[in-house]
Amino acid sequence: MKNEARLFKSLGDETRLRILWLLMQKEELCVCDIMGVLGITQSKASRHLRYLFHLGWVTDRRDGLWMNYRISVAPGSQQDRQLRLLGEFFQDHPEARSLKEKLEKWMAAKELSGQKAGGTDGEIRCSCN
Amino acid sequence: MRHEARVFRSLADETRLSMLCLLMQHEELCVCDFMEVLEITQSKASRHLRYLYNAGWVHDRREGLKMKYRLGVPPGLMGEKPLHLLSEIMTSHPEAQALRGKLTRWLENKPPSKGQKQEVRPAMRAGA
Repeated sequence: MKNEARLFKSLGDETRLRILWLLMQKEELCVCDIMGVLGITQSKASRHLRYLFHLGWVTDRRDGLWMNYRISVAPGSQQDRQLRLLGEFFQDHPEARSLKEKLEKWMAAKELSGQKAGGTDGEIRCSCN
Repeated sequence: MRHEARVFRSLADETRLSMLCLLMQHEELCVCDFMEVLEITQSKASRHLRYLYNAGWVHDRREGLKMKYRLGVPPGLMGEKPLHLLSEIMTSHPEAQALRGKLTRWLENKPPSKGQKQEVRPAMRAGA
């Protein structure tokens, strides 16, 4: 059960849980979306995303200067079951709900401003699209 | 999400996963059952059981000198679904099946404990 333990370990971090939760809401997210919604630095976001990538939770796709990530878990696999467990946790979770709302706002703002989207706080600027 | 991260960390260990797997088969087990089936020392067994207890995965009950443990669901989670998912994660595993066989054999041949009334263990239902 070494592998299962290793997978659970990768879920034992708040930031990674938040990142996976965001990725579960959308088909694909850019690193800047994760930075913007979670209010974390690029280095922190990328570090955790690489960790998730190496354990097979996500796949990446380069788009110019930015990396995009999506969940890459085969249906019916151990990881799929673990993700469903995570979903159970966050079903009625206040923080999970507010993150979801924040993501919606962020995506709407990004779409609206086209080339250059400002973060909801105006702090983070994203130029990935 | 600190609590949830902690709950997942509590599953990030082979011994603890094995313990949960055994509790899915047998409703209540004492520390000595874990020691025997997993071939670990009492201190290791108790340490991991306390860890699982603090994360909410097990409840305990004292019976004389012995501590007995059974499955619970961590706070923030409700209903049978989380345990069901966890059980799905483990049952498919060949290692888990071997452990279950070992537990059955151990319980069938378990000597009655000293200083206690002869305890007749009812054959408990295996977890769904």
